[in-house]
Amino acid sequence: MDERARTDSLHSLPQGDPDDEQRPPGLYERTIAWLAGLPWWAIILGVVAVSVLYSMLTSQAYRRVIQALTDNPQVSTEDLFEVVQIVGEPTMVVGSYVGETQDSVVNIVDQLLSAVIDTKEVTYTGFILAEDPASLTIRTESGLFTIPKDRIVEEKREPAEGGERITLTYVDRITVSGVLTKKTDKKYTIRTVNEVAETFDKSRILSRQVIPCDQVAATNCAEGEYVTIERQGETITGTLNTLSNTSLSLILADGSQREIRRSDIDQFNVPTLTVAVNARSATVPVVPGDEVRIAFVQGTNITEALEELKSLEDVPVPLRYAEGEARVVLVGYPSLDEALTATGAGEVEALLYLDDGPDRLAAQTWVDEHPNASVVLPTPPRECQKGCKVSVKLKDDMLTGRVAEETDDTIRIVTTEAEYLEIDRAKVIENRRMVPGMCALNNLRGCNAGIFLTLRVTFQAYALALLLGLIFGLMRVQTNPVLYAVSTLYVEVIRGIPLLVILLYAGFVVSPQLRDNVGISLSDEQEAVIGLAFGYGAFIAEIFRAGIQSISRGQMEAARSLGMSYPQAMRYVVLPQAVRVVLPPLGNDFISMLKDSALISVLALPDLLQLGRLYVSRTFRAFEGYNTVAILYLLMTLFLSMLVRIIERRSRLPH
Amino acid sequence: MTEPIIQIRNVHKRFHTLRGTVHALRGVSLDVMPGEVVVIVGPSGSGKSTLLRCINRLETIDSGSIIVDGIPLKGARNINKVRAEVGMVFQQFNLFPDRTALGNIVLAQRVVRKRKKSEAIAKAHDLLAKVGIPEKADAYPGQLSGGQQQRVAIARALAMDPKIMLFDEPTSALDPEMIKEVLDVMLALAKEGMTMVVVSHEMGFARAAADRAVFMDGGVIIEEGTPDVLFSNPSHERTKLFLSKIL
Repeated sequence: MDERARTDSLHSLPQGDPDDEQRPPGLYERTIAWLAGLPWWAIILGVVAVSVLYSMLTSQAYRRVIQALTDNPQVSTEDLFEVVQIVGEPTMVVGSYVGETQDSVVNIVDQLLSAVIDTKEVTYTGFILAEDPASLTIRTESGLFTIPKDRIVEEKREPAEGGERITLTYVDRITVSGVLTKKTDKKYTIRTVNEVAETFDKSRILSRQVIPCDQVAATNCAEGEYVTIERQGETITGTLNTLSNTSLSLILADGSQREIRRSDIDQFNVPTLTVAVNARSATVPVVPGDEVRIAFVQGTNITEALEELKSLEDVPVPLRYAEGEARVVLVGYPSLDEALTATGAGEVEALLYLDDGPDRLAAQTWVDEHPNASVVLPTPPRECQKGCKVSVKLKDDMLTGRVAEETDDTIRIVTTEAEYLEIDRAKVIENRRMVPGMCALNNLRGCNAGIFLTLRVTFQAYALALLLGLIFGLMRVQTNPVLYAVSTLYVEVIRGIPLLVILLYAGFVVSPQLRDNVGISLSDEQEAVIGLAFGYGAFIAEIFRAGIQSISRGQMEAARSLGMSYPQAMRYVVLPQAVRVVLPPLGNDFISMLKDSALISVLALPDLLQLGRLYVSRTFRAFEGYNTVAILYLLMTLFLSMLVRIIERRSRLPH
Repeated sequence: MTEPIIQIRNVHKRFHTLRGTVHALRGVSLDVMPGEVVVIVGPSGSGKSTLLRCINRLETIDSGSIIVDGIPLKGARNINKVRAEVGMVFQQFNLFPDRTALGNIVLAQRVVRKRKKSEAIAKAHDLLAKVGIPEKADAYPGQLSGGQQQRVAIARALAMDPKIMLFDEPTSALDPEMIKEVLDVMLALAKEGMTMVVVSHEMGFARAAADRAVFMDGGVIIEEGTPDVLFSNPSHERTKLFLSKIL
């Protein structure tokens, strides 16, 4: 204080804030300063405007406005954010795989759509069973039909044997339910579910579990046994056609081609042809009429090996034919070791070894171990690139569905799979259901519940933490040893325990104890609020303590000398000043509490993070899912920290 | 003769610090009559400020007794009542920085005296006029010079209608050209008949306003007398030595 007085009296020095540095204020500082200069109502109006803008972009209200204006329910937030993600999963599809190809991503706009489509006129002939003013029930050869009268275009009645015979033409309407995945000006693409049956050998079943019918999420739980089967991956043998980093394709025995993704493959066996040559004969070309002795290991497929040999370009010398023909004598040996020893000894000129298993490099290993055996391997063992026979064992997988047919050897399972259906928008009469989908950047409406929960819990917990912090902070500056000890114990204990542990305590220790012993049952949200508040109360208590202690003793003395009691002096003199001092750290704590509120998802609360995780676990799109969560948190904290800066600036004292 | 408004009898005060015990007051006795102006002088650490702070119990005493306006401070049940009657002005002003000059003066009136808002504000304006800065009512302490701040502090103390005013080196933190404006206010106050105990080395003020000057050293009162006698013709060696240093 006297510092200031002195400065004033000497000369009018530039009166800088302590935090104003030499560098000129940047755009952000100037914006904040400008905002801080606005009256309170303008700032509140600004906050409301931002909230309204956000909810307009995301809310149902906005959708209704658009709908009223344009009569097109599809022009909505999804159009604004129509980006790259697959969003959502229709509830009726259980464990189905959302299709995607290598060069196209299905851009799903998340809407559960149930559309009624005008199709075509259908003519039936049958007998009238019942008739009322609204509908007509007729019996035809293919069954009973009830037809609303307003859809009948034409009808002709004639008496016949056994009743009145009617021929009528009416507009047939079908209902399609599913997730809207793509739309153009004229077409909707809807993903619905489709039953797929698969028959496979029972020998592949690793485990089999029966699902009770009511657990099957399908709305119509049809007759039959529902099972989840873990099955051994198929082994596919065929001729290798193409091989890339991501996939390979095989030509199967029946001539069909099959593409297999490398990520699906458990084991991949390529036959490797090894040619071993006697060191001496390696330099001598083969002359027609010569006899070439070639060793092989008994039991291997020598015909295939010779075929492989033919496709080799760089044939070692003893196997290289000059003009005419050499006579080939094949000599079998019981084991590879013996064959290699014989090659080295000159009993045979060369050795052919073909293997597609783990032993395919055994010849190489043997030569490495016997450097003096005078056996050379002219070309490195060849890995198959194309045209060779390979066998592929796929990964084990899981299958859920209804058992359709079962014999001793095979089983037939009906599963549901996504099916894409394209319908004409012009023919859509009615869109019945629009269910908001999961939280994703192109569907922020789905995040709203999580955002509100996060904000609600944060605000409640922070209010409680401020109260706790104020009480314990005041206790910390008391001379009374009991108050001091109690508050210090609280602060030290809580600060020493991770917030996550405190939250788990609140949720799984304190709450059940309260319920069982006191009879107070807390909701999950209340547990989270209490846990967060107690965890942060300790830090806020320390902030308050530091703030109170930063106010000079003279302030308290001046207040007391005027006759104020201790509580009055605290309330009217010290605390108002302390609050100004602690405002920045309190603001920072608020923002970090907002971030730490993500921890409440351990209490099974559907906060923003939990929604994001749900999305990721459904779609396996971690990048998009966590980006959404991170960006939303970032937006909230940026906005709040701006507010905190404004409040800070406004609470500065004039000088 | 009337009763003294402040009776200090054989007061001892020790400060316990980590470095040991300081015996700040060693048996001080002093009476102040209503309307009297007493100036306490003495070297640094002589206990004069401590004595002053004991009078409104900002410091407690270890032994002896202090009776203010007929109420013994030791064990006084409502010390705040006593304090409201004893205004204090600090070396460092101790204005409330988050309140305007007016707000500083109004606060205790409202909280302690429970006056109506309009009444308190009217009184605050009167007092600001009295201390010569009526135009600074809406200024924050940070916008005032040291002299102005100290005058607001005096006005704040006066707003409680105290019977006694204690001044703890009110001009020591001020630049020389501001000392006079504060002393003028104090002088006017003394002329009005306010009982004042002033710790100060302002000899001019003491000669002009004080009825009595007290010299303290080492926690005891060495000598007291009229300012003229004490300053011009001290009887003790220590007083002479001290005066020779400051004059």
